[in-house]
Amino acid sequence: MSRGSETLNGGGVERRNLESLGEKMQLSSVFQAGGLNYALISDMETNKTIISELPPTLSEEFGALLRGSGAEPGSPLVLEAGGRVEGYGVFEFSYGPTSWGVPEAGAFSLMTYGERILKVVPRLNFKKRGVERAVLGLTPEDALLFVERSAGNFSAAYSTCFATAVEDALGLGVPSEARWTRAVALELERIYNHLYVFGRLAEAASQNIAATQTHALRERVLRLNSRHFGHRYLFGINSIGGVRRGLPKDERSALTTEVRLVAREFSELVQYFLSSRIFLDRLQGTAKLTRKDAFGLGTVGPSARGSGVQWDDRLTFPLEPYEDIYVNLETEDGEDTMARTMVRVREVESSSIALRELLDRMPSDGTKSGPDRRRADGLGAGFSFCRVESPSGDLIQVVQLDGGGRVSGLHVRPPSLVNWLPFARSLEGTVFTDFQFAFESFGLSFADSDR
Amino acid sequence: MIPAYLITSLLFGTLALLGAGFVLGLFAKKAAYMLGGVGSALGAALSLIALTSGRMVAIDLWLVNSTSYAQLQVSPLNAYFLLISSLVWLGTCLYSVGYDDDYPKSLSSLLLLTILSMVIVLVSGDAFTFLIGWESMTIASFFMILEGKGDKEGVRNAAYLFLAFGEGSSVLIMLSFAGLFSAAGTFSFMGPAAARVVTPLGPWIFVTALLGFGLKMGLAPFHMSEWLPIAHSSAASNASALLSSTLTLMGVYGIIDVVSHLGGYQLWWGWLALTIGGVSALLGALFSSVSEHSKGLPAYSTIENNGMIVVAIGVYLIATYYNLTLLADFALVAALFHAFSHSISKASLFLLNGWMSKLRGTFDLSSANPIPAGGGRGLRPLGIFTALSLAAVPPLAGFVSEWMVLETLFQSFRFGDLTSQILGALVGAMVALAAGIMMVTMTKVYGFGILWPRRTAEPGKKGGAYIGGGLVYFTVLIVAVGAAAPGVFYLASQAASRMLGANPYGPFVTGLLGVPAPFVILSGSPFGGFSPTFTALAFLSILLVTLAITGAVRARPPRFGLRVRRTPGWFAGAAQADDSTAMYNSFGYSTPIRIMLRFLFRTKESVVQVGSVQRTVIRSPEEYVVDLEVLDVFKKFYDALAMWALGLSAYTSRRVMSGKLGLYIVYIMAALIFVLIYILLTTG
Amino acid sequence: MPKIWILRGLKKGILTTAYPKSQPTSEEVPTRSLPPRPTDAADWPAGERGCPTGAIDSGDKKVDLGRCVYCRFCSSAGFAFEDGFGSRAGAMQASLTGNCATGTRHIFGRSFHVMMIDVGSCNACNLEVLNLSNPYYDLSRMGIAFTNSPKHADALIVVGALNQAMVDVLRRTYESMPEPKLVLSVGACAISGGIFRGAEGFVSPAGDAIPVDVVVPGCPPSPVQILEGLLLAAGRLKEEGVRR
Repeated sequence: MSRGSETLNGGGVERRNLESLGEKMQLSSVFQAGGLNYALISDMETNKTIISELPPTLSEEFGALLRGSGAEPGSPLVLEAGGRVEGYGVFEFSYGPTSWGVPEAGAFSLMTYGERILKVVPRLNFKKRGVERAVLGLTPEDALLFVERSAGNFSAAYSTCFATAVEDALGLGVPSEARWTRAVALELERIYNHLYVFGRLAEAASQNIAATQTHALRERVLRLNSRHFGHRYLFGINSIGGVRRGLPKDERSALTTEVRLVAREFSELVQYFLSSRIFLDRLQGTAKLTRKDAFGLGTVGPSARGSGVQWDDRLTFPLEPYEDIYVNLETEDGEDTMARTMVRVREVESSSIALRELLDRMPSDGTKSGPDRRRADGLGAGFSFCRVESPSGDLIQVVQLDGGGRVSGLHVRPPSLVNWLPFARSLEGTVFTDFQFAFESFGLSFADSDR
Repeated sequence: MIPAYLITSLLFGTLALLGAGFVLGLFAKKAAYMLGGVGSALGAALSLIALTSGRMVAIDLWLVNSTSYAQLQVSPLNAYFLLISSLVWLGTCLYSVGYDDDYPKSLSSLLLLTILSMVIVLVSGDAFTFLIGWESMTIASFFMILEGKGDKEGVRNAAYLFLAFGEGSSVLIMLSFAGLFSAAGTFSFMGPAAARVVTPLGPWIFVTALLGFGLKMGLAPFHMSEWLPIAHSSAASNASALLSSTLTLMGVYGIIDVVSHLGGYQLWWGWLALTIGGVSALLGALFSSVSEHSKGLPAYSTIENNGMIVVAIGVYLIATYYNLTLLADFALVAALFHAFSHSISKASLFLLNGWMSKLRGTFDLSSANPIPAGGGRGLRPLGIFTALSLAAVPPLAGFVSEWMVLETLFQSFRFGDLTSQILGALVGAMVALAAGIMMVTMTKVYGFGILWPRRTAEPGKKGGAYIGGGLVYFTVLIVAVGAAAPGVFYLASQAASRMLGANPYGPFVTGLLGVPAPFVILSGSPFGGFSPTFTALAFLSILLVTLAITGAVRARPPRFGLRVRRTPGWFAGAAQADDSTAMYNSFGYSTPIRIMLRFLFRTKESVVQVGSVQRTVIRSPEEYVVDLEVLDVFKKFYDALAMWALGLSAYTSRRVMSGKLGLYIVYIMAALIFVLIYILLTTG
Repeated sequence: MPKIWILRGLKKGILTTAYPKSQPTSEEVPTRSLPPRPTDAADWPAGERGCPTGAIDSGDKKVDLGRCVYCRFCSSAGFAFEDGFGSRAGAMQASLTGNCATGTRHIFGRSFHVMMIDVGSCNACNLEVLNLSNPYYDLSRMGIAFTNSPKHADALIVVGALNQAMVDVLRRTYESMPEPKLVLSVGACAISGGIFRGAEGFVSPAGDAIPVDVVVPGCPPSPVQILEGLLLAAGRLKEEGVRR
């Protein structure tokens, strides 16, 4: 019934029905297909993705969240976990939906008696556009336009995830060069997002010159995106069955050189930063997220790896090029903002190394698959899914196609959505001035979680 | 020349009116307060006459021993303090006519008795009369605190603690007087005729006086004595105003009076005064800033201001020691001036806060209780003058005097030794810090207590003309004392003239840079200067210009291309929250200080999980007291002391006293006489 | 020592764009910011597939830039694009809607405070607006500054497809701004809804909720194009030229 992506990545997926979650299993997503409820589970022990029919014993605590459909557009989604906070002098401090500290539409209710943050309640859906329902009935090619605009800064991850899932459903053989090109885009996206996070952290610490320099570096990567992929935010790079524009040989070496320069400059900047006591003081010990909480709340991406959770879709759910190239799993045990930042810093370095390898060894077998290879049988019966490690973590999409090859179901589990509660937990007991650091270090995006 | 009989008759008139008010209070409250107001007005007139004329009058009452008479006397110094107090009493009595409707009649009686005893303290010409006034003042205010509302147990504990501190103060003062007596050989050393006494007992006299009067002023480490009875018993507002602004003023008067009779100052006296004053100012300001009690907060602020006064006295002592005449003169005048501006501002704050608390039905500043329509809406903007004066913002009364105190500290580099210089700088930093914290505190008490509470449509208690009148009276006084500062400076220097040997007004008040002659106050010959009057005028003209532009724009909008715009508040795009739990409160406003200074406040934060409900507990000093937990070492010490004293008093009350007022006085008298006889015998 | 930031800065040289003193370079106007141009062989509307956002109007034979998301699906239907890495011709696309009063330069002079409000974007426009303050574009050299509160703002930048939850917020924000005030719709979503025109979450173009003075097409528009919109709003650009 489900093909998953196992034929492409040679393992990593397992289909079996579970009675309950194991000790080291994390419920990553819950979705409906063909009238049945499914659970997508990450098994941290075997590093496998398990697809199971939703076991009845499974906790429904995060069900609504993971199901991803969320609330209707226009109605707020309030992520409240735990009990109310009461006490002398406790009041609710409302932050957002329009504020410069968070340059997106989204709000928080902070319970506090002044200074101390006792509880954070994120309020989402201020910008829900309804991508999942808007794509129903469209051809996958047109649906890509919506999917890549779900979250502008994770657009390569979104479109790669969607395209891979669709190609898988269609049984489309995609040339290796196209897949490798997608990986290049993914790594470039990772680099500029990590640079963004780092720059925002520096801004929050009022390290203005340094922040400006980081943002200048990021602009350089955006211009690289633009030069080599045609779009600063990597919109429109993918099409079903390949990429819209390949990287010619001469561009590859130029890109390698540029990325290496950016990575080198960034590591210099980081050295400057790490010698600044002021900056370190603001990061170290700020907004701690224990490993237990990180795992229990389903944290993903660099935020989880900063708390020692060992999961990176590039290694645990490897799409084509990632089986062949070396990607280091960056984790930290610090559990604080510093640890999350250092994971991102090191990922910039490892992404640039991976990029060099990707560009050096990129095969040349074309950028598009032939149109005739699509298979028509079995469409409309099952679902296919894909996981991609976006800059903020594990992105899951489940796609269903109808008999005509049009999208009949799309389920997105964005990385930001599951990271809100860990973010809220990490802020409990901290002070107001830590808010910005925690927020930036989690790399959260309202556009991503609202879709 | 003012005839002596005029002053005498005015004095007796004042005493008679207040006495009559005391009796009348048992039958008709309002009439009694009115009588008290008239008496206070008479007292103010008397003191103004005595102060400007410089006339000294002594009235012998009876012979105490071979050399001393029980005396009443009016001198510029006590006339100055009588002027301050009378002005405060006048406003308080006016306010009380409208305010005091749900307190028993005895409160008015006790209030007037307290005022009467304070008059006696001020005009006493000898130690004996002074102590009679002092004791009856303590006891009358003790009963006044007992009238306070709140839980009976708390009120009683607070009242007894007040009494314990009051008696401690009396004992120390008696010891000080005994020393003075043994050196001067007369009880009339409070009188104007007495010369300065230079004696080896000087340190003894000074220290006991500083501690004894300091107890009354709530100076650290005795700061419990000031805020606790007022805050804890939630005493009536007029009573708190009286306690906090004029009762502590008696302490200031006492210290200055004793110092004026002593000669041969030693350097360390100044150090002691500077240290106690600086620590009190800082502690008072800090504790004030974290207080959530609409009366506890101003009471702490009194500690801060009294600390500043003692600092100025300390500078006076050191400067006198080094013969820095100009600095000594200015420091003394600064102390006197600050006593003036603090007393009127503080009384005003207590009355205003009391009225707002009454309207809101709570003394809790962080409560979300609204202010009902009707009473006090027009009074809210008035409060800004009081708050700004206490926050030392020019050109109001509080600024002028705090500026003067800080100017004296700036000049501590003139001191002759390094220790004094360093201490002066350190204390200067503490006082400046305290002044800065008071700005935050006053923002809090004015904002959360008066200006920001929600308004409701349904009408509440009506203020009436008397409450409004009393508050307007104080506001006018605060602005006037600031704007007419050179005049007040003249009165203060007149009061200090006997102590300093001459009226120091001349070198300090002059003209400068186009500002005409009596409008600039200088703080030393080559030092800072400032014209409160012209600052006030500048502020006024800015205000008038703004109002004129607004008026003009409102009248003819399009021609100027300007408009008066009203836009809704900005809440980051959200709609304005109506829910009281969604509103920032005063507790939150000062929590950063609680958390930052946890070592001082012993702040404890804890989160208690009750089922699925999370309760948070942050403990501020106030709450500690409520829970009878440890505030700091001082509090612990006093708790132990109180337990011991309670045991003792329980014993004595069973055996010795039946708890009657008269017996109390007899007991105190006996103790005094015993001490005096002992000292007479030992000094031969 | 390594922490001499000034030296580091000096070593970098000048990164800032010469715009608006001269035309932007090709680096500053990326390929995908250039609109489709109908050739003689153009197939209206955009071939059998059609234009996903309806930007290509077969009736008037015009391309509505406010709707275009620059997806280039129409390239196979006879619409031409300047390829390669950028071209300057026709790169600047911001335009006045006609609401905008003349003489804004006289009003704002060289101080122009801008607030951005997101009413449902994908975050790309937000980032491009934020990018204006990086050294490559350096907004502050022109006296334009970002502000946090509408009460300080002269102009409001609206990004994103207006969401039901943000309608009141947008209106409140606009009402809180002091007169005279300008509004810029930045990006296809704000101007017309863009790709999300038919999505459930989309309510109406920003221009239907509040009066819009300047539109800056693009998906997302590049920082230089947003800058152009700002200069246009502040009255600092001639009709066609580069700098007044």
